[in-house]
Amino acid sequence: MIVVEALAKQFAQGHGRRRRVVPAVQAVSFVAADGCITGLLGPNGAGKTTTLRMIAGLLRPDAGRITVAGIDVALQPQAVQARLGVLSDARGLYPRLTARENIVYYGRLHGLPRARAEARATLLAGMLDMAPLLDRRTEGFSQGERMKTALARALVHDPSHIVLDEPTNGLDVLATRGLREALRRLRDDAGKCIIFSSHIMQEVERLCDQVVVVAGGRSVAEGTVPALLARTGLRDFEACFVQLAFGNPTVGNPGGLVD
Amino acid sequence: MRGAWQVFTKELRDALRDRRTLLTVLLSSMAVGPLLLVALSMLVADIEASAEARDVYAVGLDAAPTLANYIARQAWAVHPAPPDHEQALVARRFEHPVLVVPPDFERDLAAGITPELLLLSAGANQRAEGSAGSVAALLQGFNQEQATLRLVLRGVPPAALQAVRIQRRDLGDSRARAAQFMRLLPFFVLMAVLYGALHAALDTTAGERERGSLEPLLMTPQPRWALALGKWGAVAAVGMGVAVLACGGFLPGQWLLRSEALSAMFQFGLRELALFLAVLLPLAALLAALLMAVAIRCRSFKEAQASTTVVVLAASLLPLLTSFNGGGEQPWHLWLPALAQITLMQRVLEGGALGPADVLLPVLVAALGTALCLASVVRQLRTAAWR
Repeated sequence: MIVVEALAKQFAQGHGRRRRVVPAVQAVSFVAADGCITGLLGPNGAGKTTTLRMIAGLLRPDAGRITVAGIDVALQPQAVQARLGVLSDARGLYPRLTARENIVYYGRLHGLPRARAEARATLLAGMLDMAPLLDRRTEGFSQGERMKTALARALVHDPSHIVLDEPTNGLDVLATRGLREALRRLRDDAGKCIIFSSHIMQEVERLCDQVVVVAGGRSVAEGTVPALLARTGLRDFEACFVQLAFGNPTVGNPGGLVD
Repeated sequence: MRGAWQVFTKELRDALRDRRTLLTVLLSSMAVGPLLLVALSMLVADIEASAEARDVYAVGLDAAPTLANYIARQAWAVHPAPPDHEQALVARRFEHPVLVVPPDFERDLAAGITPELLLLSAGANQRAEGSAGSVAALLQGFNQEQATLRLVLRGVPPAALQAVRIQRRDLGDSRARAAQFMRLLPFFVLMAVLYGALHAALDTTAGERERGSLEPLLMTPQPRWALALGKWGAVAAVGMGVAVLACGGFLPGQWLLRSEALSAMFQFGLRELALFLAVLLPLAALLAALLMAVAIRCRSFKEAQASTTVVVLAASLLPLLTSFNGGGEQPWHLWLPALAQITLMQRVLEGGALGPADVLLPVLVAALGTALCLASVVRQLRTAAWR
């Protein structure tokens, strides 16, 4: 379980007179349960990536508290990182290494013995339908192939908690379906706690058990998709999201029709 | 430490797979020794040949049999100067000074009138200028002989004209003289090490940031110091490998020496190789850490290349301090990285004494510098991924 309580983070930009403070996250709170896919839904710049980076221990929050499996990220970041599999916004690979070497390297950094890391790489390649790619250098991989390798790399140590930052960005329909299927299996078969950030409504609607709507650095609503629809009284989830995030279901829709 | 080892092996494997860069670095570092030695030996052989050459190019010497006789007795060969020698000298097409003898030379000499000889060369024509001194000395000898003969005819002892006698003695031993020519070698070895480590340092820091693989790396449970240590180890290993190859290249390079004198003077055996490496390896470690500390602040490989130019420039300019400084080797030279290494390598080539304290001081400075740069890399890693 991942518990996020009243998280806040601001960044300073520029120096001297030009210095200004930009609040990225102001009050984000939610609970992501085990065996459940929690969607972090928000427009661009809502603070999703900053929130996920704080969960992953990459950024220190200015205020608030995060626990992963009961462990405080601020106090024991390395213990948390050992339990987390993060597919971050930056998913660069080493182009001169093969996909297998990329995956095994991360397995070794997570403390797995070589044989176990190799076995996990083979297992994940089967699960993500990337076995033919495994022994090819990642230089020249397509967007989908790169994403699969990065996802396998994030899951190599069999983490109990998985954090995915907009994982379907740049993927085609088939690759997106494949990823959705893989995430469902991780939830259903292994009972993983999965946080999935996105700004694509259909994706969240189809995959997530629980949705947290984030806007302007704040978590503005939390619940299942039917519960959120019921709360706004709308039938279209896109309109429901716009209503929750911006307070008006017609924002960005000059026609004014929401359903 | 296990994490640092994992990072080290991966970074080394990654660097070794960059075949094109590696090949360029290795070939240039291996070739630098032999190529420099060949180039220097050709230069020295040329200087030796021109110093030994006893040729005088003259115009109108047929009209001066006394002078021609003297020149022949000194075992110098007389050659006619080309008709356009003045233009050729200025244009550096002709590289010998030209002696112009006036038509009335013999008559004036016999009459006791001082004839004027003209020795032509051009200031920008270095080879002609270099030889002009020896031709002038030859003519001075003729002058001396004629004066002595005239004094003897008048019953004056020649010693009356010689108040003092000048004798020159070169106190530098053969290795020190060779080191004059070899002054460039340590500099090129140092540059080879610097450029060898440069690409690996940039790829493992700014390159990692640019391709977006630093953020996932920092989300592993490895402490930042382990990541920095592993990366530095790989970059330092590449730099040290280049140092070994560049210095090792001098051993076979000696066989290519074309100048016999230089070959006899340039002694680079296993002892010299060991001393060179003792001096260079700590510097390779420092340069690796310094380049990484500069590059980790940059967002892209290109930006890092521009920023590390400062390091390359400093490493190139520091050794020049010895050239600007007329006071020779100073104790503080050993405190400055790069300058210390150049100074000590120079001393090895000159066959000078190199005590443990001389080697230890630059090693300690390099170790301290490495530690500081690595601490900076660790600190920067905290923010580099997302900034």
